[in-house]
Formats: sequence, structure tokens, C-alpha cells
Amino acid sequence: MTQKIAIQVDDLTVAYNYKPVLWDIDLVIPEGVLMAIVGPNGAGKSTLIKAILGIIEPIAGSVAIYGEPYKKQRKLVAYVPQKGSVDWDFPTTALDVVMMGTYGSLGWIKRPGQKQTKAALEALEKVDMLSFKSRQISQLSGGQQQRIFLARALVQNASIYFMDEPFQGVDASTEIAIINILKELRKAGKTVVVVHHDLQTVPEYFDWVTFLNVKKIATGAVKDIFNDNNLTKTYGINYKVAVNK
Amino acid sequence: MSSPQIEIQIIAALVAVSCAIPGVFLVLRKMALISDAISHSILPGIVLGFFITQDLNSPLLIILAAGTGIITVVLVERIQKTGLVKEDTAIGLVFPALFSVGVLLIAKNANDIHLDVDAVLLGELAFAPFDRFLLLGIDAGPKAAWIMGVILLITLSLLYLFFKELKVSTFDVGLSSALGFSPAILHYGLMSVSSVTVVGAFDAVGAILVVALMIAPAAAAYLLTADLKKMLWLSVFFGVFAAISGYWLAHWLDSSIAGSITTVLALVFLLVYFFAPKKGLLSVMYRQKQQRTEVSLLTFLLHLNNHQETQERHINHLREHINWQQVKANTVVGLALDNNLITITNEVISLTTKGLSFTQTALEYIITNKDDKIEHLKDDFFLFRG
Repeated sequence: MTQKIAIQVDDLTVAYNYKPVLWDIDLVIPEGVLMAIVGPNGAGKSTLIKAILGIIEPIAGSVAIYGEPYKKQRKLVAYVPQKGSVDWDFPTTALDVVMMGTYGSLGWIKRPGQKQTKAALEALEKVDMLSFKSRQISQLSGGQQQRIFLARALVQNASIYFMDEPFQGVDASTEIAIINILKELRKAGKTVVVVHHDLQTVPEYFDWVTFLNVKKIATGAVKDIFNDNNLTKTYGINYKVAVNK
Repeated sequence: MSSPQIEIQIIAALVAVSCAIPGVFLVLRKMALISDAISHSILPGIVLGFFITQDLNSPLLIILAAGTGIITVVLVERIQKTGLVKEDTAIGLVFPALFSVGVLLIAKNANDIHLDVDAVLLGELAFAPFDRFLLLGIDAGPKAAWIMGVILLITLSLLYLFFKELKVSTFDVGLSSALGFSPAILHYGLMSVSSVTVVGAFDAVGAILVVALMIAPAAAAYLLTADLKKMLWLSVFFGVFAAISGYWLAHWLDSSIAGSITTVLALVFLLVYFFAPKKGLLSVMYRQKQQRTEVSLLTFLLHLNNHQETQERHINHLREHINWQQVKANTVVGLALDNNLITITNEVISLTTKGLSFTQTALEYIITNKDDKIEHLKDDFFLFRG
């Protein structure tokens, strides 16, 4: 089976103040996988996503999205930052936040119109948040805020989705709703990359996994490489999770 | 009203609007302090510009001084990036240093130039109508009005063109960058507009009060609305209101115009701070009090839910048992009665069907923390709005 390569990362090194947080990462992510990036705190999981998206300038290495640099492929990619990275007291509504997802396809200066509003409303519907469209975002619960962020990514109608800890601080029903949508995206042939913390749920939610701790430990299908050996290598302690059937 | 009076008010209003617009974004980006830094550190730029142009209103002077504003921002960021000092410290280091260079330049050449530190810090709106703009030899009004008018026009055009970009990069830097709207370009664009506005306005209102015109209207508007466009409109309204009424306050007090405008701004902010419908201090305190009552109500309902035996539900027993002071108990019982959550027969309290379902929903919410269960309760009760 030859799958198309969605994302290829070569020799990527990122440093903050000359201290490497990602070291010489090589990574090939095939099209159509639902992949978890796992690793301890400070392993560089978020940094990896940010470096792929050009939000952080790497000191070495390159990234290709379907064979081209990210800058040429922006429209193929949607990004959900960590919920905590924005100020939810910002004066705006749920619908308006989702509309921001359409800004990329509009480019500079052009304003969103009816077409964009319609797309945003549809995305809100998909995450079951349509009745909250006019609500001020600070009045939403953590789970609802995360759904809004997901809707904002859906409205981009991308081929590749990057999500930074989408299950952080959300309730169980939202977690299930989100993972179901991600699985649907995979079914539609999209590639989804998720920074993930809960090791217990990896086999249930994902089919692909990358172990990361400054260096890449392993990457591949969950059924092949999600084992105690790799977990121990990544987390540095003798790690046993209840994943062995 | 004499024509200089009208002109002064027009200039003041133009300055207020020009300041209020970038001010909104500075406040939302938590960069209020940087406007303070810019307003001071432009001094050496103004002095150097004045040496070259010999004209406080020359466009070249404005560009040179605005350049110093940008240098301030860059220096602060550079120093902060080393990780050796925090941002507020970096700001505190940079602007006095640049300001002092300006002070030295003025002091050293005090005899030659018509510029003093007081004029830069405090400005004087009352003198603005004296400096006329001659267009083809015809008097076209005060120069300050033209300068602020042009700055405002540029600000408004940029705001109109880049509103969506400014919004997304202010709310979510990561997304803005990923979508291709360079946060750096927008950041320095905003800093440039702020610097130019401060330079244009300092002559009229002074380098210190210009900060008030940038921050106070935005801060007040922020407490009143949850919509960015409305926040911009409100800021502009507060700015203009303060400018006009400040002028008349000064007229009445026979005092400084800039000082009066700022006093009005402070009063406007204080009023909003206390009385804003949702985010004001009184409203927040009222809500907290309501929440305390409602927590008590819930405790009371849960107790009723847990005890079927009559003696546990007797009104006197409840007072003793839950150990509330009578006033609070009355409030809670009253609230429960008003909402048809309980009935009282022979001094024994029972949950109504509504009370029962309310208690169970609330319980379920507390246990599962699921929000969708309590959506319909949110309108009646503050408790779940947290």
C-alpha cells in the first residue's frame, strides 16, 4: 500500500535561547491518519506543531506539506491552538470566533460575507453549538470554548488539521463529541494531528502515534509501536499502561 | 462661541478619536503601558526633528519622532527577549533613558530653540488656534486640526482595511500567524499608528495626557460591551465626550484644557467602573451576593431531598440544623417559595415536583459538570453562570 505523504519533516531543530527544545526531528505523516503526539511536559509537542506551521522559526530543518513549503499550502491546513493561549474575555461572540477560520481563504483586506457566515453556522451546527452563536465567548464553559475552536478549524475545510491539546479541561461529553468529529474527518480522508496527554485513550482514539521527547522516539501505527518499550523510552521511567490486551 | 473656541473643540475631538482607536487594541493586547513609554520616549525624536525642521508641526518631525516610538518598542522587546528582565522592567528602563536624552538635548540648546520640557509634557490646547495653516496664502484653519485630521484619516483607513486582521491577531496570535496574517506586521503597524498619533497629539494635549486619551476610553468601553465594533464606537464616544465637556469644564474653571479633559475621562471611567451593567463593581458584588444565596438555596434543597422524615423538614428544625441566621434562612426559604420549588404545610417544608427536578438537575450538574443539562436554568439563577 503506498499512501501519499501529507506532512514531511526533515532534520527539524528548534531552540529557545540556544537551548534545543526539538532536536533533529525527522517525521513522515501519511495522508489520512489520526495521529497523537505524546510525550512528557516540555517534550516539545506544541513546539513541533508551531514549527510545522511556521509560527516558530526553526534554527534548522525543513517542513513540507504535500511536498511544498507550508507558506504555499496554508489553505490546506487548519490549526487549533491550546485553549489557554487566548484571552476568552476578548469582546466577541462564538460565531465571530468561528468566522475567523474563514479569514485565511479570504486573504488580506477582503471581508467575510454571507458565504462565510453560512459556512460558520454550519460548522457551529456540526459541533452542536448553534444555539450559542451569539453568546459572548467568556460566557461559555471550557468544553464549549473547545467546541468553538474545533468549529473554527472545520470551517477552514482543510486537508490537514493540527490540534494542540483539544481535550484539555473539557468534560467527558465534549471529549467524545470532539473525537467523533476527528474520526469523521479521518474517514473523509483528512489527516489529523493531535497533541495528546491521556495515554490511556491513545489506542481507542488514534490509529497513528508519534512519541516525542525533544528527540523523536518513534512514529508509526498505534498497533505496531504503542508499547511499554516506547513509553519507557519517552517518559524515562518504567512505564506500564493498561494497554496490553 | 467664538471661532477659536470652536477650533479648540474640533482639535480636541480629533485628538480624542485618533487616540481612542489604537487605544482599544492596546488595551485588548494588554499593552497599555507601552503607550506610556512611547509618549515619553518620542521626546528625543521631537527635539532632533525640531533641530532639523525648526517647525513643531512639520511632517518630517512627526515621522522622526514616531520612529523613536518604534525604537522604544523594539528596545523593550529586545531587552525582554534576553530573559534577564521582565517586560514591565524593560519598559521602565527604556523610556526614561530615551526621555532623558531628549531632556539633555533641550537643556543644552535651551537658548537657541523655542521648545521646553513643560510644553512637551503638558501641551497647550489653548494656543493651538494661533498656529494657522496657509493654503495658497489663504487661512485654512489651525495647523493642529489639519495634522490630527490627516492622522485620523490614515488611522480610520487602516482600521477599515485591516479590521479583521487586527481582530484575529489580537485575539489569537497563533491562528493569525498560521493563516498568514503576520502578527509582527500587524504589531508594528499598530505601534506605528500609535506613535504617529502620540506625536501628532502631544503638541495639543501633552505627552502624559495623551496616554489617558488612549487608555481610559477603551478601558471604560471594555466594561460595557462584548462586541469589538461597539467597543470602538463607545471609546470614540467617550473620547469626544471628554474632549468637549473637558473644554467647557476648563472654560468654567478657567484652568488647563488638557487637565480638564483628563479629569472628565477619569470620572467617566469611574462611573462605568462602578455602574456598568454586567462587569461593573456593583453588579459583580450583587452577583456574588446572589450566588451565595443560591448556594445556600441549593444546600437547603439538597437537605430536603435527602430527608423524607417530617421532623427533619420542620421549619424550626431547619433553622437549627443548617444553622443559618434567621435572616438568611428567610431569604433562602423566600427564594425557594418564589420559584415554586417548595411548599409549606403546617410548618413542614416539602419539595414540589419542580423543586425535586431542579435539585436533581443541579446535583447531576455538580457531579458530572455537564453544561447542557442546566442551560435552561442559567437565566433564572446566577449560580451556574461561572
